[in-house]
Amino acid sequence: MFLKKLLGHDDREKRVVEDMERHIRLLTAGCTAFREALEKNDRKRMSRVKELEREADSIRRGITSLIYRGAFLPYLRPELCKFVDIVDQVFDLLEFAAVCYLDLRFPEALRADCSRVAFLNEQMCDLLRISYQTVMAGEDLREKRLAIRIYEKRIDDMKFGLMKDARKIPIDDFWEGSLLADFLSRLCSVSDVIEDASDHLGILSTIST
Amino acid sequence: MWKILSGAFLGWSLGANDSANIFGTGVATGTVRYRTAVWLTAVFVMLGSLLEGPKCMQVMTDLSSLLPLNAFFCTLAAGLTMTGMTYLAVPASSSHAIIGAILGVGILQGSADFSRLFKIVTCWIFTPVCGLVFAYLLYRLLVPVLDGSRLSVTQRNQIYRLGILVAGCYGAYSLGSNNVANVTGVYVGSGFLTPEAASLIGGGSIALGVLTYSYRVMMTVGKGIAPLDPFTAFVTVLAGALSLHLFTQVGIPVSSSQAIVGAVVGVGLVGDVRTVSPRMLTRIGLGWVLTPLVAGVLACLFVISARSLL
Repeated sequence: MFLKKLLGHDDREKRVVEDMERHIRLLTAGCTAFREALEKNDRKRMSRVKELEREADSIRRGITSLIYRGAFLPYLRPELCKFVDIVDQVFDLLEFAAVCYLDLRFPEALRADCSRVAFLNEQMCDLLRISYQTVMAGEDLREKRLAIRIYEKRIDDMKFGLMKDARKIPIDDFWEGSLLADFLSRLCSVSDVIEDASDHLGILSTIST
Repeated sequence: MWKILSGAFLGWSLGANDSANIFGTGVATGTVRYRTAVWLTAVFVMLGSLLEGPKCMQVMTDLSSLLPLNAFFCTLAAGLTMTGMTYLAVPASSSHAIIGAILGVGILQGSADFSRLFKIVTCWIFTPVCGLVFAYLLYRLLVPVLDGSRLSVTQRNQIYRLGILVAGCYGAYSLGSNNVANVTGVYVGSGFLTPEAASLIGGGSIALGVLTYSYRVMMTVGKGIAPLDPFTAFVTVLAGALSLHLFTQVGIPVSSSQAIVGAVVGVGLVGDVRTVSPRMLTRIGLGWVLTPLVAGVLACLFVISARSLL
């Protein structure tokens, strides 16, 4: 018991690693729910994104608390917390987009392209989870980061076309237009923040080796 | 028996000052908790003193034959110098302090043997060089091993933590074995204590210093010289400990501060020279030069004052 305490060998680190993976899995689940809701215009399923975000928030708080109660060496702690925060930012964007969608009469002309972006976001989340597992296993991250960057580029290319199409849609009142602009902006920003998370994994990988 | 008190005081100062060289980087990087660090240091310093401490005591006897009262003044002067340096948060060398004091009194009473001084000063010069070389080699050797192994983040975390603890314990052992002669070696020379008794008293006083007054210098050494990651901290402490242990076998008490600073410079050279803070190194260098001078002058003043009073 004394030796375990001396070496700081307890299950806190294992719990942090597991919880961080759970956090990313939840993000993927959120992206899946978002994409399915968008494809099928299922408002009930879209509300599920908000529930998942609340659950993710609780996991994030738990992770931060565990880290600052002594899990991992101090030089790693801020970077781990920052990564968790970035993942949480993705969830915030997704939740905001979901809320906008629920308040919006969504134009059918944009549904296919938006679903495509949502699908790519979902794929990026899955890649982020694989990248995270790679870092935690102490393996090389380069290929995964490259794949994430390629996905992000594809979404970026779609973003401008989507905005162009959106401008052609007749808007009856200001708030309707504002909500649609917010929705599109959040939906297309998800990939940027996932890329930031992937870049931060690169930093984590460098300093932990 | 009261004459040992100044030796114990010097031991206490040494413990407070030099324990920073053992776990300073570990504590400052947050790898080891301060309380754990000081207890481990105290135990292993004691062990090193008892097992290998007598090896370095002969050199103190050879420098100058002192009367027990003069031995008292030497350790008192060295102890006061060390406390002053600790107060100013300058990592100073007790070896420099005690040898400066012995030579000061030796010059005063005409018994100083300078033929030994050459060997001692050579070892002093080679101490940081040795730390630098050990650190450089260890870094070059261990980095490919670590890079080649596919360890998870948690496994690396455990290895770094364990490495720093093991290197720290070895460092404390080396400190005890090498530096206990600074504390009570003069009493062996004056025939006041046997080497074993000197090791026990010296080791105990160093351990007490570690336990009661080591925090300030520990943070200065750990954070002031260079920003160290856990792996670098491990290499630094191990290189410092190896240097100290090497000079214990040679029989010369050297400065653990010099060994550790040399090691920090060594890892800085492998990584990036800019990680070494020249301002801090200058401050430490100033401490090294001033320590023997101040201790020598203080010891002379004590002896002259005692002569005029008695």
